[in-house]
Amino acid sequence: MHNFRSPLPFSLVSFCSGAVGVLLVTYIGLIAVVMSYATLTVEFSQSVKNNEATVAVLEAKYLASVARITSTDYSVEGYAIPVVQTFVPTRSVTALR
Amino acid sequence: MRAQFRSRIRLVLAFIVLVALSILVRLYFLQIVDGQEYAQKADRQFAAGGSGLFDRGAIYFTRKDGTLISAATLATGFLVAINPQTITDPEAAYAAIAAVASSTLAHDAFLAAAAKKTQVYIEVAHRLTDTDGRFLAARAIPGLQVLRESWRYYPGGSLAAQSIGIVSYGSGDTLIGQTGIEATYDGILSRSGDSLYKNFFAELFSNVSNLLVNTKDVHEGDIVTTIEPEVQTRLENGIAKMNQRYASRESGGIIMDPATGALIALATYPTYDGNDLQNVNPAVLGNPLVEHVYEFGSTMKPITMASALDAGVITPETVYTDTGCITVDTARICNLDKKARGVISMQQIIVQSLNVGAAWVATQLGQEKFRDYFAKLFGQKTDIDLSNETSAMLGNLSKPQQIGYDTAAFGQGIAVTPIQMIRALGAIANGGVMVQPHLVSAVRLNSGIVRKLDWDEKTPVFSPTATRETTVMMNAFVDEKLNGGKAKIPTMSVAAKTGTAQLIDGQGGYSSDRFFHSFVGFFPSYNPRFIILLYTNDPQQVTYASGTLGSTFLDLVRFLIDYYAVPPDRGLPAQSGFATTTPS
Repeated sequence: MHNFRSPLPFSLVSFCSGAVGVLLVTYIGLIAVVMSYATLTVEFSQSVKNNEATVAVLEAKYLASVARITSTDYSVEGYAIPVVQTFVPTRSVTALR
Repeated sequence: MRAQFRSRIRLVLAFIVLVALSILVRLYFLQIVDGQEYAQKADRQFAAGGSGLFDRGAIYFTRKDGTLISAATLATGFLVAINPQTITDPEAAYAAIAAVASSTLAHDAFLAAAAKKTQVYIEVAHRLTDTDGRFLAARAIPGLQVLRESWRYYPGGSLAAQSIGIVSYGSGDTLIGQTGIEATYDGILSRSGDSLYKNFFAELFSNVSNLLVNTKDVHEGDIVTTIEPEVQTRLENGIAKMNQRYASRESGGIIMDPATGALIALATYPTYDGNDLQNVNPAVLGNPLVEHVYEFGSTMKPITMASALDAGVITPETVYTDTGCITVDTARICNLDKKARGVISMQQIIVQSLNVGAAWVATQLGQEKFRDYFAKLFGQKTDIDLSNETSAMLGNLSKPQQIGYDTAAFGQGIAVTPIQMIRALGAIANGGVMVQPHLVSAVRLNSGIVRKLDWDEKTPVFSPTATRETTVMMNAFVDEKLNGGKAKIPTMSVAAKTGTAQLIDGQGGYSSDRFFHSFVGFFPSYNPRFIILLYTNDPQQVTYASGTLGSTFLDLVRFLIDYYAVPPDRGLPAQSGFATTTPS
């Protein structure tokens, strides 16, 4: 009867235990990654929507300002219609932009 | 050596086990200990009654500098739902909701809903702000759920409402575009709803192709319109003021780039606010600019004139004898003031808006040629990217009676849509070439690609010579006739024409005191950047279109010159370098 001696420099049981451990950690890690990925994706998606909604509120304010300026009756505000209009070959300084 | 290796292996194993244990402990706390709290938090943030958050592409205005401003987008907030099986104090719950929600169920209806113990989910309030929603959720009232929701939001309110359109529930339970751009581009704006998040690994194993190339990204996106928000505001403001002043039944206006067909502004009055549709008359949801036809009156005369000049049957030097009234097929055609002008030139037909002169030109053109020109201009829909476009009514031009052609020459007896009218008149402004009016310039796909839309369809109708000669006449109308010549802008040539059409009286004839007013103009006359069409239906206590629409038109012209810094095309004397005028 001969004792079996593994040619490997470490025991097979230890190797298998290590492999199982690595696989277990990998499996759990994979689950964690998938969950994190899903959570982050949803959070980012919601964050984008929230930012878009915030921008929309600002845009609404801008458009309301334009409407208010457009509908302002400047004669009621105390401004008089000019007696004479002068046209000059330069860009108007009163242009909106 | 071997013992050392074993101890290392054990060390590694111990480390692995520790990491695994720590992850397991973390998962235990996340899923078991705090699981309910996280589940509720997730519900509040990301769920809405079991059907995903409403998602839809945006529609943008384009400012003159190219900046995009949302015309339609999504707003996010919270809805409140109750679970009648777990709600313990309905009165307290109602008080808490009513304190933060601007609109909720009535008190009695709420209590009745809370009494339905067979149900587990009843929505009782919508569109809470972020702050209010979080505040209510923090109170953790039993039986009360505060859930995320999103909805269609129009930052401009009523701005370009008929053009942008609305979304509502169609035959199914999905919100879809019903009118305007929302309807026309529904296929691009709609979202399939399953794209909130993806399980990367599940996709990797089951659907690799979709993960790499998402087919939805190829056709889903946002819409970029040609509407300029400040010009649109100005046009709407002018139209509304004018309509209210003259108590008209309805009014409208269009501003277009005659060279490209890009619609810079479209307005109708009355209008509505897309954010508040509860009390809106459904009749105003449509767009009269493409869905209604009108007899435009004398704004049709430049088209008659350009047709005759193009056909070569008259020249600008041609004269005729104006008798004030003529009889055609037993019907009587008169100038609006019934006065005879004697022997006068073609230009005076436009400047003085002579019906007898327009009828004379139509007779010179002949029925066949007249029909050919008008069929080319109005015979087909414009194919504008708005839904429910209707066709022109040109029935009189398929009959042999000359009266139909003579009246069509000054815009009576045939009816066209405002969008057809500005397209046809745009041909005069654009050297005789008719372009395709459109509202959308590009689609911004989810993939990031911006796909520009092709609107290059051009239809030659008139020769450049004929349109230039017609433009000279329309230019003379502004410089000499409009407001007695006071409308003339010394540094800018403006070509225009008014139209005052009699409305039908419902008894087979025309009313003598009810009118449809229209006004068309473009500038700079000989290289136009803008063409403007205005109309008002049945204004009270006023006869002529110059009275109702003249000031609105001139205000828009001055605004556009200033806003777009349109350079002067005339009237700056070299010596003084400036010109002056007295405002009208």
